Amino acid sequence: MLSMGNSTFEIAINAVKTILVFFMMVQAVPILVWLERRGSAFIQNRFGPNRVGPLGLIQLLADAVKFLTKEDFAPEAGNRFLFYCAPVFALIPAAIAYMAIPMSVPLVTESYTFLIQGYEVNVGIVFILGISSLAAYTILMAGWGSGSKFSLMGALRASAQIISYELALGLAIVGVILLYGTFNLTEMIHAQAGAFHFSAFGYTITAPWAPNWGIFYQPVGAILFFAAAFAESNRLPFDLAEGEAELVAGFHTEYGGFKMLMFFIGEYGHMMIASGLMVTFYFGGYSIWAATPADVQQWFADTLSVSNQVANILSVIAHFLCYTVKFAIFLWIFIHVRWTLPRFRYDQLMDLGWKTMLPWALANTIITATVIFVTSYFIL
Amino acid sequence: MSSDAFLFWFLALVTVVSGLSVVLMTNPIYSALSLAMTMIGVSALFVTLNAYFLAGVQLIVYAGAVMVLFVMVLMLFDLKHELQAFTRGRITGAIKIASVGILSGLIVGAVTMGLKTATTLTESASAANAAVALKTNPDTTRALAENLFIKNIFGFEALGVLLLVIAVGTVALSRSKGGSHARD
Repeated sequence: MLSMGNSTFEIAINAVKTILVFFMMVQAVPILVWLERRGSAFIQNRFGPNRVGPLGLIQLLADAVKFLTKEDFAPEAGNRFLFYCAPVFALIPAAIAYMAIPMSVPLVTESYTFLIQGYEVNVGIVFILGISSLAAYTILMAGWGSGSKFSLMGALRASAQIISYELALGLAIVGVILLYGTFNLTEMIHAQAGAFHFSAFGYTITAPWAPNWGIFYQPVGAILFFAAAFAESNRLPFDLAEGEAELVAGFHTEYGGFKMLMFFIGEYGHMMIASGLMVTFYFGGYSIWAATPADVQQWFADTLSVSNQVANILSVIAHFLCYTVKFAIFLWIFIHVRWTLPRFRYDQLMDLGWKTMLPWALANTIITATVIFVTSYFIL
Repeated sequence: MSSDAFLFWFLALVTVVSGLSVVLMTNPIYSALSLAMTMIGVSALFVTLNAYFLAGVQLIVYAGAVMVLFVMVLMLFDLKHELQAFTRGRITGAIKIASVGILSGLIVGAVTMGLKTATTLTESASAANAAVALKTNPDTTRALAENLFIKNIFGFEALGVLLLVIAVGTVALSRSKGGSHARD
């Protein structure tokens, strides 16, 4: 993981790549905000932003300029150091964690292999969970540093919620780790490539028309993971931290201008990590429906009769598009749920986390482990 | 200086400085945040030693859960009272100076001992072999799991029981008569 490459060229490309992935993440936010506002308007039978530019697309650029030119202020009673640190820290964990998610098959040239992701981490899942769990500090720093009771209450609610749902989230992933026998995200995607096939009791069952995705093996885990991911990113129906009716805006009540926008980017970053992980764990990552990456490259080489080099580049683009489509579907589900479901009450939230999702996740882990052991060690 | 050495000294500096500021800061919130920073530094040091899984778990458990609870509880306190308790008094000052002394003693001791062992290690060929094995097979997660769950399973389970006893005991003590969470 630590080696950035052997030659100056490779190191330079890898360094540029990390910056590029970060910019990709930040640039996706205006599009998502536009999608969210237009989507919510569509759901609620309104128009949404439609005046600035075609379909209102330039509205977010105008908003960004507005945010940048606003007055920069800090509350009198707050702690200025923590108040200014918090928005910056909101960006960092989300960006670092997102870079570890693979987005396409590696680009192979004569002497180099470039991965289409920020960097490869050996224990990808543990790394992403560890880094994104640091987001709780951001919220606490913002809430306490603001020196306002609304902010502090929002921060306490948010961090209690994040800690509670992290358990269910982690346990839901354990099923996936048991299933693929690895912590590495790329190896997981390889395990899900190709047509549906599995071995049990010495028999092998195949279905050439279906993909070999994790959702068929871990449906309960997938639902638990996705629900916990909503709570982790503080989105409705789990956005108790910023319940407008009770807390004004929660931990970012005192923030304005670009500092607030940075919290926004952090929240959308967590949404993107959750969608990316959902795709990687349960929907085959970048792999195309019932086809392995080698099949796709061979198909390109045969049908277009091009060299292996060009076929590899085409295969990288095809897999990247496939990943993007899956990723966008989950982001849209995030947005759709936000404008469909009402907010939980606080005791309902805690009951759901500790008394419903945690036992289900534990049961899922135990059953998965037992089934894997029984089906692989006993032969009929 | 090679990039590995630079990374080590940078991370060591971050860890030691944030560790020192845990003791030297007068505001408990800053102390707790510095402790979290120390945890992050230690986990980054684990990464440079190829112990990826340990690094991740250090982040999830200590930085992500335990220290968040610390910070959360501290934010609920009346900090002005705590600030006075931290800054005034000769005993706390003496404890601070003593702990700084112990820490610097530990650092000096570790450096001198480390230099000694480093020279002996580079002489022996087995260390070089181990380093090569680590480079070629960086999957230390399996080795860790085998150590914990096969070789030392009884000690590991006993520690788990001990932690459970501590948790139950804490709840029992705090809810007993005269405790801060007494039922009556």
